Amino acid sequence: MAALLIALKDLRQRLRDRSAYLWGIVAPLGLAAIFSLLFSDLATGAALDVRFAVSDQDGGAAARAFVEQGLLPLDAQGVFAVEEVASAAEARQKATAGDVDAAFVIPEGFSAAAEGNGTSAIEVVANVDSPIAGQVASAVAGQFIGEINAVGTALGTYFTLVGRAPEAGEAEALVPEAMAVPAPLALAETTANSKELSADTFYSAGMAILFLFLTVQFGVLGLLEERQNGTMGRLLAAPISRRAIVVGKALTSFVLGVVSMGVLVVGTTLLLGASWGNSVGVAILVLAGVIAAMGIMFVVAAVARTPEQAGNVQSIIAFVLAMLGGSFFPIAQAGGLIAKLSLITPHAWFLRGLGDLAAGGGAGAVFPAALYVALFGLVTGGLAMFRVGKVLTP
Amino acid sequence: MIKILTVGWANTLRLFRQRSNIFFVFVFPLLIILLLGVMFGGGFDALVAVSVEGEEGPLAASLVESLDALDDISVERFASVEAATDAVQRGRVTAGVLIPAGFDAGLLGGEAVEVGFLTRPGDQNGMLTLEAVRAVVAAAGTPIRAARFVAAEGVASFEAALPVAQLIASGEPSLTVTYATAGESVFEDFENLGTFDMGAGSQLVLFMFLTSLAGAADLILTRRLGVARRMLSTPTSTGVILMGEAAGRFGVAMVQGVYIMVGTLLIFGVNWGDPLGAAAVVILFALVGSGAAMLSGSIFRNEQQAGGLGVLLGIGLAAIGGAMVPIELFPSTMQTIARFTPHAWAIDAFAELVRRDGGLLDILPQLGVLAAFAAFFLVLATWRLHRVLTH
Repeated sequence: MAALLIALKDLRQRLRDRSAYLWGIVAPLGLAAIFSLLFSDLATGAALDVRFAVSDQDGGAAARAFVEQGLLPLDAQGVFAVEEVASAAEARQKATAGDVDAAFVIPEGFSAAAEGNGTSAIEVVANVDSPIAGQVASAVAGQFIGEINAVGTALGTYFTLVGRAPEAGEAEALVPEAMAVPAPLALAETTANSKELSADTFYSAGMAILFLFLTVQFGVLGLLEERQNGTMGRLLAAPISRRAIVVGKALTSFVLGVVSMGVLVVGTTLLLGASWGNSVGVAILVLAGVIAAMGIMFVVAAVARTPEQAGNVQSIIAFVLAMLGGSFFPIAQAGGLIAKLSLITPHAWFLRGLGDLAAGGGAGAVFPAALYVALFGLVTGGLAMFRVGKVLTP
Repeated sequence: MIKILTVGWANTLRLFRQRSNIFFVFVFPLLIILLLGVMFGGGFDALVAVSVEGEEGPLAASLVESLDALDDISVERFASVEAATDAVQRGRVTAGVLIPAGFDAGLLGGEAVEVGFLTRPGDQNGMLTLEAVRAVVAAAGTPIRAARFVAAEGVASFEAALPVAQLIASGEPSLTVTYATAGESVFEDFENLGTFDMGAGSQLVLFMFLTSLAGAADLILTRRLGVARRMLSTPTSTGVILMGEAAGRFGVAMVQGVYIMVGTLLIFGVNWGDPLGAAAVVILFALVGSGAAMLSGSIFRNEQQAGGLGVLLGIGLAAIGGAMVPIELFPSTMQTIARFTPHAWAIDAFAELVRRDGGLLDILPQLGVLAAFAAFFLVLATWRLHRVLTH
């Protein structure tokens, strides 16, 4: 068929001048590799090894309860690591130097204050570069103290309403009853299947979808180049339908897009450890992505006057869409207007579709994301068809 | 001399005759700097999604307020449990707090109420956020618990006891937690940065180099179309032509660099530090970019090759050199590798000028390294271009 011959000729040309390899495979693979190498440890804040030190200067009932019933069980559960040190100065020093993320210092008189004599405080000293771990320490201490204060509040309310001060031993007797009242509010912890892409997958996918648009442009640009080189007239004069010419160029774009994405998916999986998810789902998303890229590039080619102009506008569009769509950084976290704008781009939906696959879904999980992506291409491609007649002139 | 300037100026102007370059040189960099400032300039709060089912009573509202009041946590409201769950799943927020319907009614009616807490499996940040949220939730339950205790003892009704309990709970507790930070931060100098300062310096470096490499295509065009040959046939020495080409690349890089500097200064109020030092860095880095561009223009044979590899090298080297994420966050092997890029040294020089208030003398070592890079690229490129043009 004529369209096939045109496509084959174009493909051979692109492969000969190596542009297809560079834009379709080398550049995206290279960048994905570099980004993965540099940034994968940062993305999930992975391997945050939280370590605490505690120094008990009091030794009374409440202080021991904090260390033995508050901290050590959490150490045993692996939430964080705790070491008990002898002196307050040592604990503070460890936090300052960064040997531990934070230190607890229980001052003398703590247990007495817990029993109602005076005020006291657990001192939390956090290393300045561990704000999250510091906050955890603060929360753990706060929770323990909160329980003691809760009993204090209960007894305080009781005696306020009774209207007199407690008699000797009355408060102590009421403590167990106060503690026996169950906490009215509790947290029910659950986990939700992550739809977040691992760092390696994110960079591979982000670069792949960006460069897909730059790769696909070559087939479509062929239309304008034929006109510029003067060969369009000859094509039109030949006994082939005008549709065959357009289909041939579209076929070139399609093959370039699908093959380069295929190589990237396999390459990044093998070389960078990316996990794209269910193969059928990925195939659907890739097809949808290629259609989207072809659609937009066709619109530009139909409107532009020269291949240089078209190429330039296509590059701009490719980068702006990729930036807005979250190929470079997770733009959805910006929230607000920017996150909404991001959802106009096929890139954002492509990445969302991959996220849905990451949650462990089967191929069906990529819908509706794949539909939006494909729709983008079909609508833009459809619009381009109105103007394509203008391009098919000698 | 005039010839050098003429060739140089003509080449600089060529870049802007292509409309798309006006976008990539003038609009795109500012867009990225703006985006980076908006996203990362405000510090690193953990985002928590909060959804309240049904009508939000005063108790629920006060719980959400206490969550938001936590340091290092920002609350984002979502209309439904599904939306909040989706946000957690996609990593848009660190964790989700799901307040059920009938929250107020249940608490006031003597029931135990469960608030849902959602994280992604195995996510460290989520688990750490849990502790902070747990403490807040427990504190919210304290007055309720006290009032229920009093009611159980028969001293007063729950409704009468609750306001008293809330009053007492809001007062000074006998036990508190004091919190202090200690130690010297690796990121200490980042504290005083304006929202856009950090992004501006690194993006300047990224774009100067990228635009330089993009301009290499023009040099290839000059060769391919035979313009270079025609220039050689005139009574002009090869040396002058080469210097003219270098001047052209230098012009392009300088336009990009000066534009970003002045633009961000005027639009975003970015602080570039000591003007003399900043100018020195820009000029030297422009020379580095020129050398790289000339080298690219003399090695590749068609614009597509140069374009594709230019983008790869431009973005890649910038990333390795710390233009996208501060070098301080890299693993130590990558920090060493970064030192082999000119970008890392330029960014370091700006860090000295902007974050640590340095002057020209303080950045002499970095300037020296940049000059060495520039010399290396320019000499290599000149030799290569000379061979290609005259053989």
